[in-house]
Amino acid sequence: MPSFGGWAGKILRVDLSTRRTWTEGTIERYQDYLGGTGIGYKVLWDEVPGDTRPFDPANKIIFAVGPLAGTGAPCNGRTAITTLWPTCWPKPLVATGHMGGQFAAELKYAGYDAIVVEGKADSPVWLSIADQRVEIVDARPLWGQGIRRTTIEISQMLGPEAAVAAIGQAGENLVPMSVVMNSYSHSAGGVGAVMGSKNLKAIGVRGTGSLRVAGPKEEWERLVKLHLSMLGANNQHVVPDSPQPWAEYYDPGSRWKAAPGRKWGAAAPAIDTGTCDPHNLNRIAYRSNNAAFYLGDVAWKYTVRGNGCTGCPIRCHTMIKVPSAAAKYGISEMGQNTCGGLNFGRSFFRTFPDGPRGETAVEACMVGMHLADDLGLWCNYSQLQRDFQKLYYDGIMRSQVGAEEFKSYSWNKYEKGDPSFLFELLPRIAMKQGELGTAVGLGTGYMLQRWSLSEEGWKRDANLQYWKLGHPKHHANEDAGQCGVIINTQYNRDAQCHSHANFTRNGLPIAVQKRLAAEIWGSPDAVDPVKAYTPMNPSKARMAKWALLRKELHDSLSLCNWMGPWVASPLKERGYKGDDSIESLLYSLVTGDRKSREEMDLTAERIFLLHRALTIRGMGTREMRARHDSIPEWVFEDPEGKAAFTKGTNRMDRDDIALAMDLFYEEMSWDKATGAPTLAAYQRAGLAHVARELGEKGLLP
Amino acid sequence: MDTQKMEPEVLKRGLLDTLGDLSFSRRQFLRLSGISVIGMSAFGPRLAAGAAGPVLYMEQAQGIVIGDPTKCVGCRRCELACTEFNDGKAAPSVARVKVARNLNFGPKGVFAGQRALGNWGNGLVIQDLCKQCRHPAPCATACPQGAIVAKPPTNARVVDPDKCVGCQLCLGACPWEMLSFDPETGKAVKCSLCDGKPKCVEACPAESLHYVSWRDLTRQIPPRARAETTIRLTEVTPSRQGKQV
Amino acid sequence: MTPVQDGGRDGEYPQWEAASQAAIQVIRNRSGQGQLATEEDILDELVALNLLEGTPGDMPSALTEILSTAAEGNGDLKEIQDQEGRKRYYSSQLMTETYARLLVRKEGDPLRLIAEIVRENSSLYPRPFPLGAFERSPFDMTRDEILQCLNQMASLEAYRDIARTTTSAGNAFLYSTSYLDPDYAATLAEWIDVGQYDNP
Repeated sequence: MPSFGGWAGKILRVDLSTRRTWTEGTIERYQDYLGGTGIGYKVLWDEVPGDTRPFDPANKIIFAVGPLAGTGAPCNGRTAITTLWPTCWPKPLVATGHMGGQFAAELKYAGYDAIVVEGKADSPVWLSIADQRVEIVDARPLWGQGIRRTTIEISQMLGPEAAVAAIGQAGENLVPMSVVMNSYSHSAGGVGAVMGSKNLKAIGVRGTGSLRVAGPKEEWERLVKLHLSMLGANNQHVVPDSPQPWAEYYDPGSRWKAAPGRKWGAAAPAIDTGTCDPHNLNRIAYRSNNAAFYLGDVAWKYTVRGNGCTGCPIRCHTMIKVPSAAAKYGISEMGQNTCGGLNFGRSFFRTFPDGPRGETAVEACMVGMHLADDLGLWCNYSQLQRDFQKLYYDGIMRSQVGAEEFKSYSWNKYEKGDPSFLFELLPRIAMKQGELGTAVGLGTGYMLQRWSLSEEGWKRDANLQYWKLGHPKHHANEDAGQCGVIINTQYNRDAQCHSHANFTRNGLPIAVQKRLAAEIWGSPDAVDPVKAYTPMNPSKARMAKWALLRKELHDSLSLCNWMGPWVASPLKERGYKGDDSIESLLYSLVTGDRKSREEMDLTAERIFLLHRALTIRGMGTREMRARHDSIPEWVFEDPEGKAAFTKGTNRMDRDDIALAMDLFYEEMSWDKATGAPTLAAYQRAGLAHVARELGEKGLLP
Repeated sequence: MDTQKMEPEVLKRGLLDTLGDLSFSRRQFLRLSGISVIGMSAFGPRLAAGAAGPVLYMEQAQGIVIGDPTKCVGCRRCELACTEFNDGKAAPSVARVKVARNLNFGPKGVFAGQRALGNWGNGLVIQDLCKQCRHPAPCATACPQGAIVAKPPTNARVVDPDKCVGCQLCLGACPWEMLSFDPETGKAVKCSLCDGKPKCVEACPAESLHYVSWRDLTRQIPPRARAETTIRLTEVTPSRQGKQV
Repeated sequence: MTPVQDGGRDGEYPQWEAASQAAIQVIRNRSGQGQLATEEDILDELVALNLLEGTPGDMPSALTEILSTAAEGNGDLKEIQDQEGRKRYYSSQLMTETYARLLVRKEGDPLRLIAEIVRENSSLYPRPFPLGAFERSPFDMTRDEILQCLNQMASLEAYRDIARTTTSAGNAFLYSTSYLDPDYAATLAEWIDVGQYDNP
């Protein structure tokens, strides 16, 4: 058996019902699935029957990383968590969450590529992993505590370097809208309650081992530096947001925020982010400031520094220090997170006294993080907050929730934009207290069902961003026209795919994007200028396939799909071109298993197909086109009545989208009528055994 | 550097080098060492037992890596560059620059409480770096094999893997706990300054590590484990468990 | 002004090479600081280094010769002229033509600066450009200055295409009607200012 670099080599199996743990070899069973979501889907396919429900002991939750996790490959700190999804409505299906932080690396150093948890402990436990020493430890003293205290107490036992992934009260209470969180601010949404249903409070990992890099170290050093040289800022935005001496292009909407005069104001003393020439690899960490991106210029004075996953130079989490929030609300003056997590508290409010980017908005973020990241609440890409606003302002809440309970909330504070309102709301969601707290904690689908609201109504309202199955869109037509629509049809929660959006938002002029697109997807027509979409063509289908496959590849290798792929770069001398084969180069050198870009993409296709097969088996139908790959009404509408394919609208055309799905299925070699992969497609990807089982169930086209 | 062949003049020069700012105990040590070049027994039974004997004088290091904790973003790319580009493996536990152990709570660990540094405190990440101690370096002094030597051109104090027997006494000797034991090689590991182009400095994306001309930081930076940094002459430095579980 | 003569040798200018190198250095240093080099900058430096003597004030042909010598073998040396034909210099190793143009306009022609930035953004990417960005680096204009410029531009034929749209967040964006129609510009502005954050 060849010995590969990168992989730790073992998968930890845990049966909480019997409290038994054992290991199995990664390579023997899972090499063809790499890691991450690949291992997750394979375990679910092989071991979990399609009618299992998320909180059944028979459901399994798989924490998995890939061969690149824990190495010096840039942007590898991601753990994929695969399970049957509690908020997937009306029938739970396979889905994945992802968390960053230190967990992925620490798990690898402890000697594991994945942890598969099944069963249910008869009382609360946490899983302790210290290299080869694995114990199931009584967590009753921790049960009922928030994520913060849990992490501190486990760190006292495992040491300050331990990575602790814990659930809060929300997960304990089986609130579907719950997370597991590690390293202070890094959460994976949607899985907290699955852990809670197993009485699994936390996983604490301490790893002191090493990971072999198979290739010559000099060659590895060169490859790492090549990859670093092509990095942009967060989301692989490759131009700065303001004109810089070194920059030919710039984009006010870019996440590349560094500029002379913009300082980490709360650093001691302040640090000017300055001119970050992309050739200076020692200043990558100064490029991005997501607090400033979301909260505006007001955030610079609060910025201490960037933070993030092991080994990633981007630092997309921003640490902010806001003494006024501490004084006003009795919370810590320190807060850190990014995107939806950063905005958790802020997104509930329609307005603030001093506007959307003033001091109150910052305070709302601080209070939100303080509560949600301890209680372990999930935002579902801020669907929680969008739903909440609609339910309140449309009067739905008032009629669904009893008068007594409705009165118990300080709605004047909510309407005014007073962050202290969050202290009334968030704990009640985590504790399932009251009708409101219970309903919104279910996730959109089950909330609609509980309150007898029509999903159709949700599907007509573009502001809600709702897509299907109880989840919102995630970079759909507003970002990339038909390509984005296709991508959003494929999953059982929000798509979590950024491959395409990272490209379309990278800030380069459309002519440059088209030139790069021609090289990558065969035609400059793969991309349109934003909000000036043109009719469907085959290159857009190729781009959609590429985006989806690369997402699964990243989630299986452990590369961050919020940063990759790296097909564009900030380097003028490269014509702003990145390298579409960087994933295969990294994989080949680390593992010693030489694979070309095409071979890696075939592996990715195998993983993506397995997700498709799981979905088909879970739904018990092969009619994916009709019953799964649906598109909400709002995609085909425009609030001002503008026609599709005119400038200034996201509106798609029904026939054109039908063509888009046709071309996509064709690109995938799937059956057009059903949208189901054919026998040939499964065979080509090495999934003949999957096809066999589906065939027996009549689920092949 | 073969100390047995060293000329007395060189030894004197080396001793004079260090006369500038001595603590009492160090002056005492030097007087003793001046007398007992011949009489090894003055160093104690442990040292006399070593085959090669202690290094009697180690040339001063030319450079040192220093860190700015206010700029460290806690990415740990320094640890990864150190081990991947030097040893061909990702092994932060034996990295020669140490950040992970201070990352979450600061050097005082989980019990730092309200005044914590690190990700769970005020954000400061202390990068632990080898001080390239002037002679007598505690690690070199502790080594019974004379395996820790000054390596030109930088004169970084490095572990000679041919001489190291993996006894781990050096680990316990370092007041800053900067040495590691690599169970895969069976050798001690410490910072070599990468022959003058430190990989960690090159790898840092926040410009928080710098390679500068050597300066004595042994009195500026508090020891990690103990209150004193003076070298004890009459007792064996307590040995420590290796880092591996 | 004349190059310093090597003592005793009549009629020779043996310090061309040194002068050229010094000129290149000035240009590169200024570019590295994010600034253009003027002819005065270069002359001052050459005088300070005793490579030229005399009083500054006239532009000697010697400078042109020095710079063309410098340009040979230093392909990064670039010249850019402002609207009055005055020459500026930068190194393309350290500064792009985009930025150099911005600096030239910033010096003395804010109307043209605004127009060119807005037109470039409207045509190239294409997108409208936030008015507030002119308050920040590297434009560093005050709100009043910007509004004054816009008022002036509104009545000038040369700037008829410069138009404004305001987003739902209350922020103004500028665009050129030569490249973007008002509706498209408004939609794009809304996307940049509000939409992108609502769709993280």
